[in-house]
Amino acid sequence: MELKHIFKAFLIVLLLTLPWFNSQLDNGVAAAKVSQENVQFYEINPCKASLFDFLKANSESIYQDHFKFRFDNKSSIKCFGRVTGVTVSTSNLTTAFYISLGTNSFINLLFQGFIWIILFSFIPKNKDQNNKKIELRLHNLTLVLVSYLFTFSIYSESKFYEKNFYIFDFYDIDSYIPIFFSFLLLLKIFVESFTERSDVVINYLPYLFLFSALFSGFNINFLSMLFIYFGIQSLFFSKDSTLLNKTFNKVFLILSIWWIFNSTGSYSFNLTKFRGFSSSIYEFNANLFWVIYFFLLLKGIQFIYINLKEKFNIDSFTQNLSITSSALLLISYIGSNFPIINFFNYYFLGLQRLGVELQNPFLFDEYSVKIAWRGISPSAETIGEFYGICLIFLLFNIVKTQKLNFLKITGTLSSALGLYFSDNRTVIVLVFSIIIIYLFLLNNEFQFKKKFIGSFLIFFLFLSLILLTVGSSNFTLSYQFVSESLIRKANDYQFDSIYSSYLTLLNNNFENSTFYSYFFSFFSSIAYFLNRSEMWGVFFSRYNPTFMEFLFGSGPLNFGQLYGEVVINKTEYCILTTKFICTETFLLPHSSFLSYLLFFGIVPLTLLVLTFLLFLYKNRKNYQFVLISTYLFINIFKNDSLNYFTPFCFYAFIMLILNSRFRSKKFY
Amino acid sequence: MSLVTDLCGEYPDSFIKLDISNNPNYVFENDSSYSMRALFDLEGNKVFVNSFVECEHYVSGGWGFSPDIMNEIFFQDILFYGILLLLFLSFFKSKLKFIQKLWN
Repeated sequence: MELKHIFKAFLIVLLLTLPWFNSQLDNGVAAAKVSQENVQFYEINPCKASLFDFLKANSESIYQDHFKFRFDNKSSIKCFGRVTGVTVSTSNLTTAFYISLGTNSFINLLFQGFIWIILFSFIPKNKDQNNKKIELRLHNLTLVLVSYLFTFSIYSESKFYEKNFYIFDFYDIDSYIPIFFSFLLLLKIFVESFTERSDVVINYLPYLFLFSALFSGFNINFLSMLFIYFGIQSLFFSKDSTLLNKTFNKVFLILSIWWIFNSTGSYSFNLTKFRGFSSSIYEFNANLFWVIYFFLLLKGIQFIYINLKEKFNIDSFTQNLSITSSALLLISYIGSNFPIINFFNYYFLGLQRLGVELQNPFLFDEYSVKIAWRGISPSAETIGEFYGICLIFLLFNIVKTQKLNFLKITGTLSSALGLYFSDNRTVIVLVFSIIIIYLFLLNNEFQFKKKFIGSFLIFFLFLSLILLTVGSSNFTLSYQFVSESLIRKANDYQFDSIYSSYLTLLNNNFENSTFYSYFFSFFSSIAYFLNRSEMWGVFFSRYNPTFMEFLFGSGPLNFGQLYGEVVINKTEYCILTTKFICTETFLLPHSSFLSYLLFFGIVPLTLLVLTFLLFLYKNRKNYQFVLISTYLFINIFKNDSLNYFTPFCFYAFIMLILNSRFRSKKFY
Repeated sequence: MSLVTDLCGEYPDSFIKLDISNNPNYVFENDSSYSMRALFDLEGNKVFVNSFVECEHYVSGGWGFSPDIMNEIFFQDILFYGILLLLFLSFFKSKLKFIQKLWN
């Protein structure tokens, strides 16, 4: 191991541990042990005991699941790493201790940023440093522009940041100066570090699922700063000025003007697990930021892809998928069993939300239904998709190389186990189907008879798997029942005499049995079999677009209007553990397709689907590409994947790379 | 913004600075339209002020934010200067050989 790496590792360990020793207890005073009856010490001495002091006095809090460590971003700098309060909560004869830890947002920005930069620096540098793979133009100006843009985001979403900043005058421009320079510093080091590693960095994409890199207390993803930087860079280059690009830029510009000037209301949105890739408010300034952000993100992804696509190595990529899936599973499992590790996972990996607290991933509820286990991921379904991708790539790799090694075996086992834990049954069916189809298509010289038997077998297996997933009892229901499930649910949630414009449209069409009602009935049946009737029904009872908004949307990554404009009946989300536990929630759409219908409208969405079909047609000879694309399309259709930063970038990259590099030929 | 406006609010249009320090018998009049504010000295002593004139007088005399807020401002300033220093080093690292050595 090089001396430099040892130094870096030492620095990382120091950074990870040192802040949690920040104590202000007087000499001879030790932190107290907490009990159900007494947490007085921490009430009298907020911000005195360090996390280490607390752990020393309450060593059982490291592994007992009724200790829950929570971040307090609104604490002062002085309180960073200290216990700001302890509360006791008792329900159903179980007592839980909530330990609030000071994590000042301003410190988070610098502290987390530096840790991620140091971790990133472990990726090996380019062998030839003089031969720059990515040419940078107007570097300093771009840095300033990106820093300004992200500083503006804090101003535009001040309502969200008010809850996360200790002292910050949002109406005083001077307050933003330290934030601006912090962004500038982090971005400068990160971009330079990235360009020095451009030879291999694209093969490290799977690690995005491990490091969400979200600043605690911010609605900003650290990695997005890099994409935005290259998005601006792409505007300085004529390299990508093809006709398609020029047209896209012009159309996006026109739509942007419409989105921004159309955002006249002010509707807040509780970000929860969409933090880092959604606006917290639907307002002029916030919409302006997210429109620019989304455009530059797309341009950034395209720019990085154009410059680094030649460096993509599918073997190295698959190897990293293996490592990531194993690491994810291990970290998730440790986190779920050790509350303090769960907190550290959240903080140092920059997660959207705390990891799952359910210690046993094999658990079933009292009705023998598997309980989905998401690990450190914000959503069980999304992480299930990732494990599915790992399995598919590993399958292609193993079949091609005809070799198994320790990494491939652990990768396959971890992915299979992770997929089972996530209980994403659609992915399980898809992976099985892909395996079966792939193994049949492997031999291109099928005899007709063999092909016929093969096709029949594929169809039979596919049908069995669908029956297994959806449940055979669901197929005995009448078409009318399933085709009206969506509109029925939408009307169930409609409140008083308030109807969303889209629900009114649906009701009118169903009353008059128009062609549109038949089309929607078909859509409704799909929703029913995918177990989406309720979620999509709630979406349609809320969806209240004007005619123009229906055609062209209301702006990217903004749910504010959807969740604030129309009042609907209370929505409850119930989970089965040992019994039904229902909590009031606002139920997310659970379909990227519907989210993007809200953001971009039906016209751009239809164009996107057509482009995808064109992609498939052009790659029709490359069945590996067709299989993966179909897999992604189905998942995007029935899940919120594209509302998370990581899957959005990951899917965009793999689609671009696989489409361009491997067109008309197998990539394995 | 000055410390006075930070702590006491905007200067009223009719504000005239009086020489209160030389008048030991001066009595501050309560302003019913002014919301009461707390000011602190370096030792953490607290005083409540009921008018802009009173507030301005105390702030000019060295009273200010609570020790917690003063601490926060102090730490924020330290961080800010630290960031500026690191930025300076990162921009001029090619000119400073020892920094370049450390950086690489």
